[in-house]
Amino acid sequence: MKLLKKTIRRYLVYSVILLLVEIPIFYVVVQQLVLQGVDRDLMATKELLKPKIGEAVVKNTLGQLQFADRNVSISITTVSRVYDSLASVEIFDSATGRNVPHRILTSSFSINGKPCVLQVKTSLLDNFSLIANIVKIQLALLVLLLLGLFLINRNLSKKIWGPFYHTLGRLQRYNIDQHEALSLEQSSVKEFNDLNRSLEGLARRAQDAYISEKAFTENASHEMQSPLAVLQSKLELLMQTTPLTAEQAQLIGELADAGRRMSRLNKSLVLLTKIENKQFANVEMVTLRPVVLSLLQQYDMQIREKSLDVTFKPGDDISLNADRALVEILAGNLLANAIRHNIPGGKIHITITGNRFRICNSGSETPLDEQKIFNRFVKGGNDNNSIGLGLAIANTICNIYHYKLQYSFVANMHCFTVISVFSE
Amino acid sequence: MRILIVEDEKELSGSMVKYLQQENYLCDTAFNFGEAMNKVETYEYDCILLDISLPDGNGLKVLEALKADRKTDGVIIISAKDSLDDKIAGLKLGADDYLPKPFHLSELSARIEAVIRRKSFQGSNALVINELNFDLLARVVMVNDQAVDLTRKEYDLLLYLASNKNRVISRNAIAEKISGESADVYDNFDFIYAHIKNLKKKLSAAGCEDYIESVYGIGYKFTIR
Repeated sequence: MKLLKKTIRRYLVYSVILLLVEIPIFYVVVQQLVLQGVDRDLMATKELLKPKIGEAVVKNTLGQLQFADRNVSISITTVSRVYDSLASVEIFDSATGRNVPHRILTSSFSINGKPCVLQVKTSLLDNFSLIANIVKIQLALLVLLLLGLFLINRNLSKKIWGPFYHTLGRLQRYNIDQHEALSLEQSSVKEFNDLNRSLEGLARRAQDAYISEKAFTENASHEMQSPLAVLQSKLELLMQTTPLTAEQAQLIGELADAGRRMSRLNKSLVLLTKIENKQFANVEMVTLRPVVLSLLQQYDMQIREKSLDVTFKPGDDISLNADRALVEILAGNLLANAIRHNIPGGKIHITITGNRFRICNSGSETPLDEQKIFNRFVKGGNDNNSIGLGLAIANTICNIYHYKLQYSFVANMHCFTVISVFSE
Repeated sequence: MRILIVEDEKELSGSMVKYLQQENYLCDTAFNFGEAMNKVETYEYDCILLDISLPDGNGLKVLEALKADRKTDGVIIISAKDSLDDKIAGLKLGADDYLPKPFHLSELSARIEAVIRRKSFQGSNALVINELNFDLLARVVMVNDQAVDLTRKEYDLLLYLASNKNRVISRNAIAEKISGESADVYDNFDFIYAHIKNLKKKLSAAGCEDYIESVYGIGYKFTIR
């Protein structure tokens, strides 16, 4: 969930609950207050009437008093109980033709020893419509208030979190091998500035480490070339010396092999750094089919030596917008890999379909560890001649051209698939 | 035959001198750009081995000067950079060949021989060793005037061995020669044995003496007694 949504959702839930709870409570409380007021009025009226009723009884003018106010009625009863009771009742109003809520005070007391009942009533209609109006206004105010708060909050959040989202965007686009510093915007919020400073520092340190590691690989492999060349040439001179015993020859041969391995390793490392430094920039349209065909010819001896059954089904042909040398290296490394880790008499299937180039080979019967195989110096199988850089190089090439290199183990075949985006 | 070796790595230069002297070449050395320019201006060489990265200048400048003087010395660029750009620049400037470091001395020797052969005016396009007769243009080998049916790789292999006669050639050098760039990727040279066996079979069937001798543990040798 997005940060903004999360905070806003809380606000929304709180506002709705507040509205739902507050309005009924408000209504009830106001109604109670109004009733209390009405009741007080009624009691006051009663107290006011009481002496007048007493007077009227003495003067025997009770009948006149009764007619003075329709809301007051008085009757003589036989029940000599003293009580006050208040009740809300609906009384039919003939003028409007509706039931109208009324509050009635029924009071019983005795005057001059005669028990009598006094009823005072008052209409609640005006009060209730007043309450309804107050509640409506209140509701409208609350809704407006919450809406306003909600909007202000959202905009404020957006503004406050703006630098955060900007930083996030920069981080997502940041690529350590692009040789540019991670420059983030200044913000008015201290925390964000702290965050940005920390991130910039982190990126700088990471980049420094990356650059120095790369420089080391580059320098190491370049500096190694000369001594390797010397080593190789001296060994060749040593081979020419006479007499050469079988034991010496064997030793020299093994030394030469080791030297060659070292120089191959070195060449691969140089190649890797060159690819990463984007030193292959002769981008052109390269069609894959002829590349594969020429590679198959190049590896003909190795394929025959292992008696491999190679099928090449170029269903379609892929045109890649890439450096020819890199395409050749990519396909070559995958093919060499398929030959190297194959079993004598095994199979290699090469297919091109759509934008997929796939090489499958028989070999060991357990799938490889997908997480590791593209790492440097990971050696599969027991071929001592493997230096463990072939797939790393293939993967690096795929990376710079944004191809996908996938490994799968299907029907006892190890498959490597290069998926290219169609070059326009 | 006179060769100039422009190479700042003294040990490597020494190895080249030693190997090439055994092939009866006269070798001069230059360890830096100034020396190289001096020698190039003063003498004429059949072939110049030119390192590009010299401590005090770019080897390609030597090549430029040579071409400006309209000299016809053969030039082989030897470079540690192994970059396509250098190769293209060198060949464009008129170098005859390009050899990335590290290289096999046997390969170097074969290349020098090829360059000199191309350059020399009376140079025939044939290389004759006893009953073996290479037609270098048609890339055909004849034994007692009978063409031997060799594959391209077998022909290259035989010529390579013959160009380094009486020298031990390591199996690595042979593998690199016949499998080209793929040797860098797929380093399993078991196929060489089968390859040599086939070649020997074809040659002996054509009535050629068995010149290819295997040197146990190292490689092979084309021996002329």
